[in-house]
Amino acid sequence: MNHSNSKYISNFKSWAEQKRFLNFTDEDAEFLKKLHPFAIEYADTFVEKLYDHLLKFPDTKRFLGDEKMLMRLKLAQKAYFMDLTSGEYGEEYFKSRIKVGITHQRIGLPPRVYMSTYCYYMQLIIPQIYGNPTFDFETANGIFLALHKIINLDQELAISAYIHATDEVISRQTEEILEMSTPVIQIWEGVVAAPIIGMLDSSRTQQFMERLLETIVATNSPVALIDITGVPQIDTATAQHLIDTINAVKLLGSQVIITGVRPVIAQTLVHLGIDLSGIITRPTMASGLKVALDTLSIKVVDTSKA
Amino acid sequence: MDENSLSVIKLKNILLVTVPDDPGDDIIHELQTKVLHAIEKYQSKGLILDISSVNILDSFFARTISETTQMVALMGGQTVIAGMQPSVAITATELGLHLGKAISTLNVDRALDIFTDNFKLV
Repeated sequence: MNHSNSKYISNFKSWAEQKRFLNFTDEDAEFLKKLHPFAIEYADTFVEKLYDHLLKFPDTKRFLGDEKMLMRLKLAQKAYFMDLTSGEYGEEYFKSRIKVGITHQRIGLPPRVYMSTYCYYMQLIIPQIYGNPTFDFETANGIFLALHKIINLDQELAISAYIHATDEVISRQTEEILEMSTPVIQIWEGVVAAPIIGMLDSSRTQQFMERLLETIVATNSPVALIDITGVPQIDTATAQHLIDTINAVKLLGSQVIITGVRPVIAQTLVHLGIDLSGIITRPTMASGLKVALDTLSIKVVDTSKA
Repeated sequence: MDENSLSVIKLKNILLVTVPDDPGDDIIHELQTKVLHAIEKYQSKGLILDISSVNILDSFFARTISETTQMVALMGGQTVIAGMQPSVAITATELGLHLGKAISTLNVDRALDIFTDNFKLV
């Protein structure tokens, strides 16, 4: 599991910091431990009540699945109740909370369901704490506060893991889109073509340039067609990125032909004062290919007219 | 400095130099001197610099190539840079390095083509 590329994920160190921030002390751990015998005794009843409640609402019911799944969830919930009152809140505890968040994201459980389930959870537990004859008022208060703190810590972990997992999906998709949107294809012996779809920003340019240059070298192509039919609008930054790419291709020893220069693009280029005079430009990919073949001294003949 | 570290090969009317991987400043300086002396000696009309092994192009190297191109031109020759690697081209563009009047080609074969086609030298 790679946690490094998201600002949302907590690591164990930052979690320890969070614990200090919430004033979660060993005393709190002791208070929670006092709930443990109680948890052992009543966990099953609790879990049953909780799931009965969740099953009443279609919104939550659809995440609970079939009987087998429900059984598993109940066991997991029971284990959580045990963990919550174990008095041990170290790295193991931290890791299992992160796992919960990631699992929730994977099954598509909305955070709102997770959060409101906690609220119901508290509604079940709090009367038991204050109603328990073995706890005096001070102890009950201590337990209540400790519970409040640990649940806050748990929620923060699960939610940030949740956001992190979503974040990863987004960054993976962004990468895929980048890959998809800049194909570089060899269209003739010695000619590669690269249609650009969408705006050319600096991160895309970097990727595009790398792929174009590598393909030029791999196919040993003296001519590269860059087609900008799919570029909706051109600005000075995009033009500069294009010029940089052209310069890099020139350094390799190949020549760039820009194709797909539509009227609106031509107008913009002139209005912005972007000088492409040293570069061959053509309105269509077809006319660009013709220039490329001429450059390579290749003649294509219509055999029916010969 | 190892005297054999750099060899300038005479091919008919032109010179071929293969630049070693990661050339130091002394090698680059040696390259310039050797090339100019060879041009004087053989009356060469062209120079091919094969930089396909070069992974890093710094500003000193870029400037030396640009200057050597000018010097070679003053002595009546054309310089062709062959086989620049994609990563080197990208870095050079990002840093805004220029190779002056030197022509680039994809590889040594194409550099030879340029001399045969455009300059009738080989």
